[in-house]
Amino acid sequence: MVNHQVDLPETALSRRRLIASLLAGGAVAATAPFLSGSASAEESGATTTAPPHRDAADNAALNAALERESRMAATYAAAVAKTSGDDQAALLLIHDHHVAYAQALKGYLATSANSASSQPLAAPAASITAIAQQMASLEEETVAIHTNSLATLRGINAAMLVASIITVEARHVAALNIIGGTSPIAAA
Amino acid sequence: MTNNNPSLISRRSALRTGGAIVAGGAALAACGGSSDAGTIARIGSVPEIEKLETEHVSDVALLRTAMSVEKMVAVMLADQRMTSLAEANVSPYLTKYSASHETNMSVIAPLVTARGGQTVSEPNAKLMTSYGDHALELVEEGKTPGDVLNLMLGLESLVAATYQYFVSLTNEAALRADMMRLGASSSRRAAVAAQLIRGGTKGFVPALNDKGEELTATLPTAFGALNAVQVLLGPLNDIGTRSPLSMETPSLNSMLY
Repeated sequence: MVNHQVDLPETALSRRRLIASLLAGGAVAATAPFLSGSASAEESGATTTAPPHRDAADNAALNAALERESRMAATYAAAVAKTSGDDQAALLLIHDHHVAYAQALKGYLATSANSASSQPLAAPAASITAIAQQMASLEEETVAIHTNSLATLRGINAAMLVASIITVEARHVAALNIIGGTSPIAAA
Repeated sequence: MTNNNPSLISRRSALRTGGAIVAGGAALAACGGSSDAGTIARIGSVPEIEKLETEHVSDVALLRTAMSVEKMVAVMLADQRMTSLAEANVSPYLTKYSASHETNMSVIAPLVTARGGQTVSEPNAKLMTSYGDHALELVEEGKTPGDVLNLMLGLESLVAATYQYFVSLTNEAALRADMMRLGASSSRRAAVAAQLIRGGTKGFVPALNDKGEELTATLPTAFGALNAVQVLLGPLNDIGTRSPLSMETPSLNSMLY
């Protein structure tokens, strides 16, 4: 028996064209609901562009914040060594806060984190009153640094992290000012 | 030999018909809107469903809401139920902090108008209904001067948490910093209130009393918390304790759009 392969010429409606049409039709059918959905979303009038969750452009400001927090922690570590009792416990608590901030910033930056200095920002004074005044002043500066950087941060996650740090550091300022001898009514 | 397979439904005609069906389906799907999906044909008259207006949490909405929260706190701190119960050394704080919140409103007002919004001069009605009015009632019923400081601490913590939360919703980066400047001032006032309740460096650290109850701490957490602010207010109940009043930051249903 001899089998003959019959080659038919490409007609206007060939099998190949039909399959291509089917695939194209299927693709259109699959995307039609999405296309129609996006059209109605446009009609709903959403006009604002949401800020990005994170942005590499923030890394410089966040590394500066990391450096500051690392040095604040080092300053508190020196102050803790000069105090005792409740005063020491209080300063150790604030020291731990700053360590947590440095760790959080480092974790956020991940491989983009620079090596932060652990050089204290000041040599601690002798008494708890003087130390509190000194640290309140440094905390005030830190709050200002973070608040100013917040105005430039593009990524919303970085902004949220820095905002959560500012909230508590502002408390540090007022609490330390009171210990430093400022009248409570004038401390806030 | 040529394979000839005559059939009523040939492969070619099946493909042709299938193609026509898919193309028709695609055309119908593209024409149909998503709003009609899932509707069932009904007999008889059906009332028209009025769609709710879609509101967006814009920067203006956040600023207007912040104004309403500032006003709420200013009003609550100046409320006669608070001022009449406050001890002499606490009264100046009520006056000063209430005035500070009024001042904050005048700081926010130009930010609202510059963005085409309308300023707010009334306390946030939803939050007053949710917990503001109840908090003042509890202070009145409790007749405990300590409740004044507890509520002051709670309210200042609430304002600080509100601005911190709003940072996550604000589009303009510069506005986030403006909000946090206001939030930080409330944070400082909260620290002062906490120091008035439990002063000295001892008061910085969270601790428990002899009964195992949590004492007020000036620095209760390392990071600013966004959970509801809990305040113990009012008279003791039958078992000698007080239920905490929970105060939440504004959410989608309490914002002023």
